[in-house]
Amino acid sequence: MAFVQNFPFMSIILSLFSGPLCSVLDGKWAKKVNTAVIVIIGLMSSCVLGYVAGLGEPFIYRMGHFPAPWGNEIRVGVLEAFMAVFFCVIMLLSMAGGVRERLLQIEESKQNLYYIMVNLLLCSLLALIYTNDLFTAYVFVEINTISACGLIMIRQNGRTIEAAARYMIMSLLGSGLLLLGICFLYSVTGHLLMSNIRQQVEMLAVSGEYRIPLMVSLVLMSVGLAIKSALYPFHTWLPDAYGYSTVSSAAILSSLVSKGYIFLLIKIFYRVIGFEIICSSKVIHILFVFGVMGMIMGSVSAIKEESIRRMIAYSSVAQIGYIYMGFGLGTEIGVVASIYHVLSHAATKSLLFIAASGLTDASGDSVRYEELHGAGFRHRLAGAAFTVGALSMVGLPMFSGFISKLLFAQAAMGHEYKMLITLIALAVSTILNAVYFMKTVIRIYTPASQDGESKGNRIIHMREQPGKSAALICFVILNLILGLNSEPVIHMIEAGLEMFR
Amino acid sequence: MSKMLMLIVILLPMLSGALIPAIPFKNRRAMCIYIELCALIDSALVFLLLHNPPEEALTVFRFTGNLSVTFRVDGMGSLFAAMAAFLWPPALLYSFEYMKHESNEKSFFLFYVITYGITLGIALSENILTMYFFFEMLSMVTLPLIMHTRTREAVLASRAYLYYMLGGAAFAFIGMIFILTYGTTSSFVMGGVLDMDQIADKRNMLLFVYVLCFCGFSVKTALFPFSSWLPKAGVAPTPVTALLHAVAVVNTGAFAAMRVTYFSFGTERLRGTWAQNVVMALTIITIVYGCSRALKETHIKRRLAWSTVSNLSYILFGVAVMTPLGLTGAMSHMLFHSFMKITSFFCAGAVIYKTGRNYVHELNGLGRKMPKVFVIFATASFALMGVPGLCGFVSKWNLCRAAVDSGNPLAYGGVAALLVSAFLTAVYMLTMMVRAFFPGKEFDDGSISDVEDPNWMMLLPLAVFVAVMLCFGLHSAPVIRFLREIAGIR
Amino acid sequence: MDLWILVPIILPAIAGILLLVSSFTGHIRGKTAGSVRGLHVYTAAVLVLSAAAALYAAWTGEREAVLFTLLDKIPIYFRIDGIGCLFVTLVSIIWLAVGLYSFVYMEREGEEKRFFGLYLLLYGVLVGLDFAGNLITMYLCYELMTLVSMPMVLHNGSRESIMAALKYLFYSMCGAYGGLFGIVFLYRYCDTLNFTAGGTLNIAAAQEHRGILLAAVFVMLLGFGAKAGMFPLHSWLPAAHPAAPSPASAVLSGIIVKSGVLAVIRTVYYIVGPDFLRGTWVQYGWMTLALITVFMGSLLAYREPVLKKRLAYSTVSQISYILFGLSLLTPDAMTGALLHTAAHAFIKCGLFLTAGIFLYQFGYTRVAQLDGMGKRMPRTMWCYTIFAMALIGIPLTGGFISKWYLAQGALRSGIEVYSWLGPVVLLVSALLTAGYLLPVTMKGFFPGEEAASMDLTKREPSLQMGIPLVLLAALVLLMGILPNPLIRFLYEMVSPVFY
Repeated sequence: MAFVQNFPFMSIILSLFSGPLCSVLDGKWAKKVNTAVIVIIGLMSSCVLGYVAGLGEPFIYRMGHFPAPWGNEIRVGVLEAFMAVFFCVIMLLSMAGGVRERLLQIEESKQNLYYIMVNLLLCSLLALIYTNDLFTAYVFVEINTISACGLIMIRQNGRTIEAAARYMIMSLLGSGLLLLGICFLYSVTGHLLMSNIRQQVEMLAVSGEYRIPLMVSLVLMSVGLAIKSALYPFHTWLPDAYGYSTVSSAAILSSLVSKGYIFLLIKIFYRVIGFEIICSSKVIHILFVFGVMGMIMGSVSAIKEESIRRMIAYSSVAQIGYIYMGFGLGTEIGVVASIYHVLSHAATKSLLFIAASGLTDASGDSVRYEELHGAGFRHRLAGAAFTVGALSMVGLPMFSGFISKLLFAQAAMGHEYKMLITLIALAVSTILNAVYFMKTVIRIYTPASQDGESKGNRIIHMREQPGKSAALICFVILNLILGLNSEPVIHMIEAGLEMFR
Repeated sequence: MSKMLMLIVILLPMLSGALIPAIPFKNRRAMCIYIELCALIDSALVFLLLHNPPEEALTVFRFTGNLSVTFRVDGMGSLFAAMAAFLWPPALLYSFEYMKHESNEKSFFLFYVITYGITLGIALSENILTMYFFFEMLSMVTLPLIMHTRTREAVLASRAYLYYMLGGAAFAFIGMIFILTYGTTSSFVMGGVLDMDQIADKRNMLLFVYVLCFCGFSVKTALFPFSSWLPKAGVAPTPVTALLHAVAVVNTGAFAAMRVTYFSFGTERLRGTWAQNVVMALTIITIVYGCSRALKETHIKRRLAWSTVSNLSYILFGVAVMTPLGLTGAMSHMLFHSFMKITSFFCAGAVIYKTGRNYVHELNGLGRKMPKVFVIFATASFALMGVPGLCGFVSKWNLCRAAVDSGNPLAYGGVAALLVSAFLTAVYMLTMMVRAFFPGKEFDDGSISDVEDPNWMMLLPLAVFVAVMLCFGLHSAPVIRFLREIAGIR
Repeated sequence: MDLWILVPIILPAIAGILLLVSSFTGHIRGKTAGSVRGLHVYTAAVLVLSAAAALYAAWTGEREAVLFTLLDKIPIYFRIDGIGCLFVTLVSIIWLAVGLYSFVYMEREGEEKRFFGLYLLLYGVLVGLDFAGNLITMYLCYELMTLVSMPMVLHNGSRESIMAALKYLFYSMCGAYGGLFGIVFLYRYCDTLNFTAGGTLNIAAAQEHRGILLAAVFVMLLGFGAKAGMFPLHSWLPAAHPAAPSPASAVLSGIIVKSGVLAVIRTVYYIVGPDFLRGTWVQYGWMTLALITVFMGSLLAYREPVLKKRLAYSTVSQISYILFGLSLLTPDAMTGALLHTAAHAFIKCGLFLTAGIFLYQFGYTRVAQLDGMGKRMPRTMWCYTIFAMALIGIPLTGGFISKWYLAQGALRSGIEVYSWLGPVVLLVSALLTAGYLLPVTMKGFFPGEEAASMDLTKREPSLQMGIPLVLLAALVLLMGILPNPLIRFLYEMVSPVFY
């Protein structure tokens, strides 16, 4: 067994234990430890990625060397490793981009608490990515929920507490449903390891037994995870949670937390139930319908918003809709498109959140539209970055959003009757995206009216906020890479999905 | 080498434009000389390229799989590229003078020059994806030009512009995906690339997608009911309205519509279907609608903008006829209308620049004080009306001829619409001319005693354009023969 | 390539443009008045030279000239044939006569340079129109004619005249585009657009698309009919003619309106061919419209108190005599129509010049003001009477001959209803014509009881204004007394169209 094979497990453990370590350090050191941990995990994951890609097949890492069905396993393929690397990058950049806000908005004594939460979150995300055991997955889903709550709540004002409470309730409902689903599956198949469940499910599918319990369990798990990742009718917790928390929390929540659940759902589809069985079930139609509705309704809500942060938050609802629509198409390429969109949305949404915070900084910390006039001139980098993010969201060629749109559309072409619906939904959603994102872009480049000059406006240069500037530049580059050089990434996703089988 | 030249002509304006804010110019003059030189060199290179077109295509990079940004010189592309290359340097010359009194010149010229490169990019695209790519870029790059004055009106106009553009592109995207999926190749091939075996059972789907795609691309060409952005965009400085919203940007829409109709979907599959009728009906409605709105409008630039709406639909009508002759007519009107409309706008701009007057009723008597501008303006009006001997007649004739030749009853209606529109054009253009030249006997010359013709920087482009209008009008045979070759008529 | 054709087109056009440019520069320098005498000499010289060239070109053999290709396979092409000869002769005579008249008349109107510039330019364009050898060339000259004649209407610059000029412009444009609509279809279904007696329609191709082709021809008739003041596009005429200065109204009524007739002749007899239209709804529609116009024009003229407006309505009515003759599609009627074209050109031109003299000498515009005029300017009034009698169709005048042929053509045509309805309408209209023209003469010579209170001093116009009038009256009489050479010439011209 190559030494590299230990890395996934080590990275989970590392992030888990750096949490308690942070709690004894003061804020500044906690930050450094946290950064270092993320960087190390990122590097380790890259090694794993290189190793798996070279290996050409997934490897299984047994905890304590107990074989299945007793032992707990980690399973690593190209996609898992790639996700881990990507999540680390996003997290690092999001943390870097929100330094100033964290210092301002979080009490001195709670600074290190924040890093604990982030470390835990990273740990749970990695576990969700790597684990081959459904119950372990559930446990880390809960850890994920708790730490996410912490991230929301840590900026202590009334709004965030309310938002956190709402998030908590909805999330727990989701976890509960997930747990129920797992229970059903366990009682039907008698296994908790994904590979084993899959064998059983295949046998059951052939014999035709337990069809309804299987279906119910699938529905429960899908709905549970859909609630947690804010699919359209279950999205009510999202705008407050993203809109009022501190900016790095919002970025992490929108690009990582919900994406972790989605990744778990993909794993359940592929590794637990089997993609063919999923495709033949009705569940994907439900996901498709909700996805399309989310695409439209999320954008409609975003158009009505007055605050830039909440607008970006609502736009997440629409983007999550895209992802579920991709699942709903029920084709391999649809899932590829969804995963690509997970990446592209993660890269874009954090960019937008951080750029928006830069713009609000330059406008007296107001998130209201009227006061953002001319913000693009006051904070040029943030303005440019926001424009890039917006263009990517609208799906302009060159940026990552275009490629995912392209992939979704191509995926839709393979389908008889979902084709036109998807294509038109994509077009309408593009227009709606254009309406609110480009309106904002135009607004930040319109000089403020003379009389309404608010006092908070100030000009911010790049050097004043090195963390944020670096993060923004990196995000823009990441976006361009995804947009211009998407082929290797798509190949990797395809290879990763192949390894899921 | 000649292959790389394609990339060079596209990148040169983009880079030299991007450098404008970075270079510390000694004075305004130096900047103007730099910009004009860049444009001239690029135009020279374009003509060099077209004179000696490379055989094979140049792939710059790949998005995914077989989707790549690729350039190639073909007949239609070279027409469009030559048009852009011919128009840009004089338009720049004009704008140096015009923009003297406006603020933020640098950002204006930055985007104005970049647009040149992107327009060439559209002209030289080899496949539908490349075209779409530059199509979207064009929308974005021209946005700051509309917003230039940053007044509330400009912001609203640019917002409307953007919504329409991106919305149009979103629907064009559907067509593009369709071609990418069911086409044997994504390149433009005369006669279409669709693989009929694959979509034999999806005929209606094909037609529906075609209509969406055509409308999507035609949003840039201000097809009814997506035309209201164009008059609004008239708040931009005149060089923008003249070159971009009468010529470059809007023609890219028509160009794209030609490409998808003739080179991607293929007219064989579309001719005689309900899709053709829908598309043609829309163009006919636009032709009449644009003219009627122009008639009601009293703001000069907006009136010209509505006239553009109508004239652009002449081009689309030619496309919708779906015969090689129709394509010939469409291309000839694309070419000729560019000259007529840019001249009209430049004349209107000269009036605004010299007198600050924006409305038709303020034109009284100016024809006597600015005779050169107004004689040119009148010539452009005659050309727009389709007086024989000027280029507008030639293209109108070709369009009508194609429509009659096609034998489609709706196309006969189109001929009638073209002529009704020509009549309305006569009404709204000549009322302006009559006002300018014959203000009536109560008119007091003293109120405009200090008005005079603008200087050579404005007059030279106008003179060039008028000469071109006359040349094409009197001796159109070589051009038309060239266009027919492109359209595949031997 | 025969340069003689081009001389009378290009020479006056260039001379006219030069005058216009100099009028422009005068405006910029702020001085509009130049040497009037020089201007007159210049205009007269150019006119005489080009008229001589035109007549020489027209009457000395077949000529043709191909200039350059305007559209593919359609060149700008001039050729002289009988119709062209006839029209160019009319144009030249009237142009010379009215030119002489306007040297005096226009002195009072001002802006002479512009007027004479346009006048010369228009002459060139009209000669081009008459010599045009194919439809496209004709269309080109037709459009130019509209554009050039329009500023003549708004010459005095009053709001009313500007509105009238715009009305004229828009009606003409509308008509021209109607014509173009048809041309496009004819191009598709004709072997060539060159004028050929009897038509060039490709019968095989045409039969297949008969419906649309007939519709196109009808639209063309309506379009070109607009210029000829045919109902329903006639209403520009009574607006534009009174607004223009009298020489301009004279040429408008005498010549420009006839250009519409020329266009109709060219279309129907030289492109489409009378056989294609005979017995179709187009012919019936055309006849009906022409008769309606004849009757309506006379009726409106009868009720009109302003002399120039009355004459304008009369033109509406009279031109439709010609159109009715043409619509019958028989040789007799066509001869009659051409005769009436010539007669009406002289008559109406003369009448407008007379009205101009009333206006110039006394400032009178209304019919009621003209009582006793016969005592004050007997020479003028006698001329007026000759014109009036000719227009009514009293024997020994040109009008009688032409109307005779028109009526005969109608009766012989054998078309149901119209063969007798036509002459009846023509007769009624002639009565109305007598009703609206002759009272001027009667009151002029016999002012009645109020004569005592009137100022009856003689005030004949100057010779320059009188000579053209007398000349035109002489021509009208000559046509009435010795019509045979003209009739023979016309028959020669008409027969190849039908056989």
